[in-house]
Amino acid sequence: MKCESCNKKHATVHLTEIVGTAKKERHLCEECAQTVNTQLAKIPTPTEILTSLINQVAPEINEMSKISCPVCGLSYLDFRSHGRLGCPMDYTIFRKGLIPLLEKMHGSTQHVGKVPSRAGKELIKKNELMQLRSELNKAVEKEDYEKAADLRDKIYELSGDNNNED
Amino acid sequence: MKISDLTDNTGEWLRGTGPDSDIVISSRIRLARNVARFPFLSRANVKQKTELEEIIRDKIKESEITQDLFYVNLADVSPVDRLFLVERHLISREHAGGEGVRGVAFGKSETISLMVNEEDHLRIQVIRSGFELKETWKTIDDIDNKLEKKINYAYSSRFGYLTSCPTNVGTGMRASVMLHLPALGMTHHIEKVFNAVVKLGLVVRGMYGEGTQVSGDLYQISNQFTLGKSELEIIEIIESVIPRITSYERMARKALVSESREQLEDRVWRSYGMLKVARTISSDEILHLLSQVRMGVNLGIINDIQMKTLNELFILTLPGHLQKLEGRELTSAQRNIIRASYVRKRLEKIES
Repeated sequence: MKCESCNKKHATVHLTEIVGTAKKERHLCEECAQTVNTQLAKIPTPTEILTSLINQVAPEINEMSKISCPVCGLSYLDFRSHGRLGCPMDYTIFRKGLIPLLEKMHGSTQHVGKVPSRAGKELIKKNELMQLRSELNKAVEKEDYEKAADLRDKIYELSGDNNNED
Repeated sequence: MKISDLTDNTGEWLRGTGPDSDIVISSRIRLARNVARFPFLSRANVKQKTELEEIIRDKIKESEITQDLFYVNLADVSPVDRLFLVERHLISREHAGGEGVRGVAFGKSETISLMVNEEDHLRIQVIRSGFELKETWKTIDDIDNKLEKKINYAYSSRFGYLTSCPTNVGTGMRASVMLHLPALGMTHHIEKVFNAVVKLGLVVRGMYGEGTQVSGDLYQISNQFTLGKSELEIIEIIESVIPRITSYERMARKALVSESREQLEDRVWRSYGMLKVARTISSDEILHLLSQVRMGVNLGIINDIQMKTLNELFILTLPGHLQKLEGRELTSAQRNIIRASYVRKRLEKIES
């Protein structure tokens, strides 16, 4: 299709104008479109489009861009450009950026599947320890040192072989 | 056991038995696991990778998963051997093309495979013949439980099993079913099926997974999401859609038989004939021919060839297998000649 205005070049800009209730279509080449319609002179540059797109699609990028993982050294931007995380800790460090991503990918951000029995045991142990510690605090408050010593021993015993981080 | 020992037969999952095996070739599940307190492989240095490989290899051995587990150090074997293992579905393409210390352990029946230092530290895979996702899950869950006693997995109660790529986090599970859908392809209904599948959050891929082309009318349907649903819920979603696809395919086959029986029979017999007489066959062509013949067998048009033989030919005529068979590297043109002669021999055996 030729440009309506100069009738020479190929029409690459197709405009639909609505004046009142009438619809009018115009087919122009890029040059004519620039001169004919001043509104089109404000076509955003590719960089502007990209920035606004990033802000629309992933507003967390700007905020997260300065963060790197202290354990594996991966930066959030590295992760976003390659799509791979560097270590298990990244799930904690980049949590804020990951949550909207996971929501988009999986429609959820909470695991509901299998629990390793080891993690199950740890969880039970953790809860038990919390319980003992609060009892210990109460015993100390009441100045019941005999009970406190007993509880302390139990806590040592329970946490002794547990060098794992949470 | 050596890799060459595998060339004489194929994995159990190709035997063409099990529920709906006229359409469902195989059911496969893989789990992605990582060892706690180690970086993922993209950030691990050589020392850490070596250490990881040693730990996981030892733990696999200690866990006594199956009696005849065989371990291959992939850095030590030739590219042809690696391609061969990919074609067998024992390792992924990424694992074959990767670098550094890495390996795979698999059982003699080729049902179980454990990839060490793939994209994640450990990827467990179980593959079975026919439509048997639940059984497959039982097997893989059991293996995972055994390993979990020995290996401290990277896990969080919020995000589940932590993986290198967030698309796998949570269950770390990809369950897939390989389908043979020639009639839906011929009648151009395949697109409709896929649109429906995608709406359920499932993905359709070619024979060798991500990024591979569909050939031989073979499709893999698998889950996209891995977080927010339990393993069994994910399996049930796939299980709910497969019977609809298989019955749709059967309907399309029936329609072809009743509306254009002669043309259909002609296509099937021509394909069978081509396999028996051709002197050079490309890998694309053979997939097409085998697909037609397979449908012909399912429809009772051809009776003298077993489903197992056909299923096996899909794998045995792939480039890696032919080169392994010949014991040397071959150009594409050479492979086409050897492929044709190999198929002729296999089919002659049936006739005599």
